[in-house]
Amino acid sequence: MAGFSYMSDLNMAASPSLDPTSLTYAIVVRCGPHQQSRALSAFQFTKEVLLQGHKVLSVFFYQQGVHTASGLRVVPQDELNLTVLWQQLSLDYDLDLGVCIAAALQAGITNQQEANRYELGSDSLASQFSLVGLGQLAAACAECDRLVSFGGD
Amino acid sequence: MSCLITLSHAPYGSQVAKESLDVALVLSAFEQQPAVLFVDEGVLQLLPGSQIPSPHKHIGKILSALEMYDVNELWVEQESLDQFGLAIDDLSQTVNVVTRIHLGQLCAQYHQHLVF
Repeated sequence: MAGFSYMSDLNMAASPSLDPTSLTYAIVVRCGPHQQSRALSAFQFTKEVLLQGHKVLSVFFYQQGVHTASGLRVVPQDELNLTVLWQQLSLDYDLDLGVCIAAALQAGITNQQEANRYELGSDSLASQFSLVGLGQLAAACAECDRLVSFGGD
Repeated sequence: MSCLITLSHAPYGSQVAKESLDVALVLSAFEQQPAVLFVDEGVLQLLPGSQIPSPHKHIGKILSALEMYDVNELWVEQESLDQFGLAIDDLSQTVNVVTRIHLGQLCAQYHQHLVF
């Protein structure tokens, strides 16, 4: 099916800047930032997809992955801080970083609005990340050519 | 777009089973026609009448909601049933059985495949 829409892109001469070989991706990150190699794979894959000129519709953080969006994690100085890496990638490519709101709230990751709603002491969501519903994942699934998920455990 | 969701986690002990089924429900609400495949410990989600460990939602209740959300295509891997000494009659839902050797063909019928 993705191949089919790719062929129809070839016929669309309307937008010459659109590389006909570029695909749209949706990325799901289900591994936590403490699962270094998996979590790093998710980041590096996304970065490479963008570098090669493909479009990433959204990155969706779910399950353990929501911990990546915590603005209160402190990483030892000689280790990679995945939160910062994602934030920089988001700034560089105007990348949408969505975090499952239900999973995030259970993990103590909350924005100002939710902190007020639940009368919590403070908020903790890192900048560039936004709390969204599972519907955003479903919408990205519907739109993307390729859905790539980086797993938990 | 159709999506196959593979569930390989036991129903309780972590939130994974519940969160995976939530994805199936939401995909269906967005008219993505999800199908669900139970493998490994995931088949334990299909056992009826399990006691609910208190911090968890009852997986059986979510499973019975699948039909209401038009998620009618449930698959279970034969070898996983065998591993736990289960037969298809032991399960709470009506499911299709697929053998491991045919899993590839099953996956190929869907545009996308999410593995939990």
